[in-house]
Amino acid sequence: MGYLELKNISKRFGDQIVLDEVSLSVEKGDIYGVIGLSGAGKSTLVRIINGLETPTEGEIFLNNEKIVSPKMKPPRRIREKIAMIFQGFGLLEQRNALENVHLAFEITGEDDKDQAKSKALLKKVTLADKEKNYPSELSGGEKQRVAIARALALRPEILLSDEATSALDRKTSDEIISLLESLNKEIGLTIILISHQIEVVEKACNKVAILDKAKIVENGPISDIFLSPKSEIGKSLIYAGDLKTPLSDKHLIRLLFDGDADSPLVSNIVTKCGILVSIVYANTHTLQGKVYGQLILKLPSYDKDIQKLEKYLSIEHIRYEEVSSNELE
Amino acid sequence: MNWSNLWTATYETLLMTIISSLLAYVIGIPLGVLLFMTSKNGPKPNKWVNIIVGGIVNILRSVPCMLLIIILLPLTRSLLGRGTGAWYTMLIPLFFASFPFVSRMVEQSLSEVKKDEIEALESMGASNLELVKKVLVPESKPSLISGFSVSTISILAYTSFAYDFGAGGLISRAYSFYSAHSGNYLSFPNVWIIILIVLIIVQLIQELGLYIAHKVDKRKVN
Repeated sequence: MGYLELKNISKRFGDQIVLDEVSLSVEKGDIYGVIGLSGAGKSTLVRIINGLETPTEGEIFLNNEKIVSPKMKPPRRIREKIAMIFQGFGLLEQRNALENVHLAFEITGEDDKDQAKSKALLKKVTLADKEKNYPSELSGGEKQRVAIARALALRPEILLSDEATSALDRKTSDEIISLLESLNKEIGLTIILISHQIEVVEKACNKVAILDKAKIVENGPISDIFLSPKSEIGKSLIYAGDLKTPLSDKHLIRLLFDGDADSPLVSNIVTKCGILVSIVYANTHTLQGKVYGQLILKLPSYDKDIQKLEKYLSIEHIRYEEVSSNELE
Repeated sequence: MNWSNLWTATYETLLMTIISSLLAYVIGIPLGVLLFMTSKNGPKPNKWVNIIVGGIVNILRSVPCMLLIIILLPLTRSLLGRGTGAWYTMLIPLFFASFPFVSRMVEQSLSEVKKDEIEALESMGASNLELVKKVLVPESKPSLISGFSVSTISILAYTSFAYDFGAGGLISRAYSFYSAHSGNYLSFPNVWIIILIVLIIVQLIQELGLYIAHKVDKRKVN
């Protein structure tokens, strides 16, 4: 059994099924991404993990201890181990940055008069000079840093991040993700990262689960999932990338490659096979230092050229597949 | 009417208004908190508590103030020795007339606190009492303060009923002028002085409330 084990978690609100038998095994030190479109049930999942809601069915275990069931919310000592950060930051607007961090110590009963511990935490998130600022005087990224400092005050083993970077611009979002990564490395913080942004999950996570219509449709190490997503929703999330216009052409072929992106693939297809392909779309991801990518090619006369191309690709050990016409719409 | 009469009337009005407002808030804050906490979208939904407390509040709110004073006469008499004829006999009926209203005002103020803030504390394992003390009340402080001035002004308006029960106050005094000189009461400067004093009191409560609410609010960028 994993460190944090979700077993057949279901949640229904009346007739509406929000989560349908979701099981997940998180190991200590994982940064586990949960990705899906909005309304897929991602937020409900984290809210069940830290007891903001109870599941209709299913159980959660932490270190083999049952912490959640339909009749049980995590006890206080467990909740302190599971901290959470939010899309809307959740900072008290009538308290300054320092007092917001101190709030966590007030709840755990460890509040110190001089707020030295809170000051140290603000320093850790590089906000020492803003301790007297109220949330209305901080930028989005700064607010999320305060929220992270407050979460760390609980000395958590697990950090739940519910769309924590969704309200931030790309650069700030990257900074927050880097901060989470460094906390993961430094203090071994296990992170469950909920997001609808593929680039956030791609940057930080070592494992990922794709949630669609209340169910986990696939999950596993991120390189497996990102290199060859099996589910329709996975394909559309990962391949679509920043491709804005849907591909409606029929005769398209997708080449998948990893780490081998420097071989002159297109030139070879043109010169060695004599097929005048045109590049429709190309997209690469960097995962743990390795480059994974896809290349979508259009063949001038599909039926004539496809066999030649397939032969060449199998010799070169390059994976390929036909692009289904509805997948990117 | 001489100046000392005017002063007596002013302070009767002020005492009636301020003491019943404070009493209304002593009960109205906890009831408002209870109404918010137990509401359907509140942190601790509890249908029955909400229906019962909300029901009592709604029933009291729908009883006209005058009727409430009449119903409460025996209670006032048994507690204060007399039911009518002195400013303090209005305190009990004004309290009953205003605390339901205040409870709803408080509930409304608390419901303006962002859900994220409440959930952040819940996720840390905060108790209900901590939720109220650390988040709900401090975060809605500006709204509670401006609500307080709105309630106080309504209660001041309720003091008009003091006339019918000989309980004094500025508005009673103005009405006495009308009963005594119904033909030309507006030609007495004293009537206008009374109107002016009432206006000043209302404006003071209003502006002071807004000023303090703005002063304590940290949401603005300085």
